[in-house]
Amino acid sequence: MDIATLGGQLLGQIPLGDIVLYLTPFNLFMFVGALIFTTLIAISRTETQVEAEFGSLNDNEVKVGLKEFKIRRFLAVVCGLATAGAMITGDVFNFTLLVALIGILNIGIVSAVKQIDVLNAAFQYGLIAMIASLPLFGGAAIILASTGTLSILEIAQLSFTTPMMFFASLLLILGIAGETGIAPFYATKAEMFRTPGSPFIIIIHLSSLLVIVRAIEILLIINKPF
Amino acid sequence: MIVPEVVPAITVSLFLPALYVGLLVGFIALLGISFQKKDLHALILTDIVGVGMLIIVAAVGTDLAEALILPGLVVQLAEIMAISEILMSREMRKTGKKVSFMPMPLKMNMEILKTAPNFLSLVLIVYGIFLTGFTGGAVAGVGILFYALSRKSRGLPFKLWEGVSGISGVAWCIWLAGFLILFVTPEIWLLGLLMSSFGILLKVASKMGLIGVLGREEIKRD
Repeated sequence: MDIATLGGQLLGQIPLGDIVLYLTPFNLFMFVGALIFTTLIAISRTETQVEAEFGSLNDNEVKVGLKEFKIRRFLAVVCGLATAGAMITGDVFNFTLLVALIGILNIGIVSAVKQIDVLNAAFQYGLIAMIASLPLFGGAAIILASTGTLSILEIAQLSFTTPMMFFASLLLILGIAGETGIAPFYATKAEMFRTPGSPFIIIIHLSSLLVIVRAIEILLIINKPF
Repeated sequence: MIVPEVVPAITVSLFLPALYVGLLVGFIALLGISFQKKDLHALILTDIVGVGMLIIVAAVGTDLAEALILPGLVVQLAEIMAISEILMSREMRKTGKKVSFMPMPLKMNMEILKTAPNFLSLVLIVYGIFLTGFTGGAVAGVGILFYALSRKSRGLPFKLWEGVSGISGVAWCIWLAGFLILFVTPEIWLLGLLMSSFGILLKVASKMGLIGVLGREEIKRD
């Protein structure tokens, strides 16, 4: 499928050696959106969860310590930048790499909490993310083997699709689903959101959302179903 | 045709068997994980899935595939380290006991641990600087790690360790800038080459320092 049909008018290209970024309104919108959200996270403070105490009228505040706050803000900003990079990249290989980076950072954001059940969920999510790196990188490798290139611009100009390319994109979407923890693997990730420190937790949601939208664009370009 | 003429037919025909082997390795590892009940065993078995990934990527066998293998390996390593840290901190919170970063079975207080490390690690670091590049970085890194391991019983200087991790970050930036020079202005390639080679020397050598800082309270004891 044509790039212009999916993402609107092709505004330009940024050639960096053999890595070529391409700009469409679709890409740019998500790129700028991810950057704006990252800036908001970088300047915001964390929430304080308030729990009612049992048997008394007092409240119990769950706060995030300064050191933990700093580490978590750093990881959340890097996660936002990785998401923005995955939006703008014109290369399947860079896309898989940034998705894997987002997976690691998602584990890192919740890894410093004190709640045991959240750590348990983070461990399960980490196992899934590690297992998902096989279909993720394997899919990218098979796309390379069946098309001879990893650049999305080059792949868009190919006139044929082979069953191997379809198989590779199946593996790729499986890997992305596991790495970002969407629907079939969501159970591993849901518990992670119970940790205090809200704006940094939301980047986990937002990154997986944007990455899925971009992944669908890439898979449509590779498979050309219409 | 995607595959060039110079590649022998037998090499091309090996791609599909290698792909099947990779998927099979991943499937066997998943079976193992599904039978496992202990978290630690599941974590170790997950590493086998990563081996399957490396087989699939290596089956392609071009230079682009080589560029995929290295990040894949690094991602795998980073993930297994992060998850094992989560597992350890969860167990520490459950039991309430702290575990040292580099546990040793017995308390060693020997003369040789005070005198030898300085000289041996100096030799290794100097030899590593002489080699330069990735190999030199690895040799110098072994020197630093040896120093850290043998000085551990007396406590490591925490300030110095933070400095080492700072050097590591700066060296990484030099490495990146060197690569940028190679791409942007190829005329001054010699500068770019030297910057990236010395950058990666310092980077790999101080990697152990980074692990040391990420390690826990054991090291903060001055």
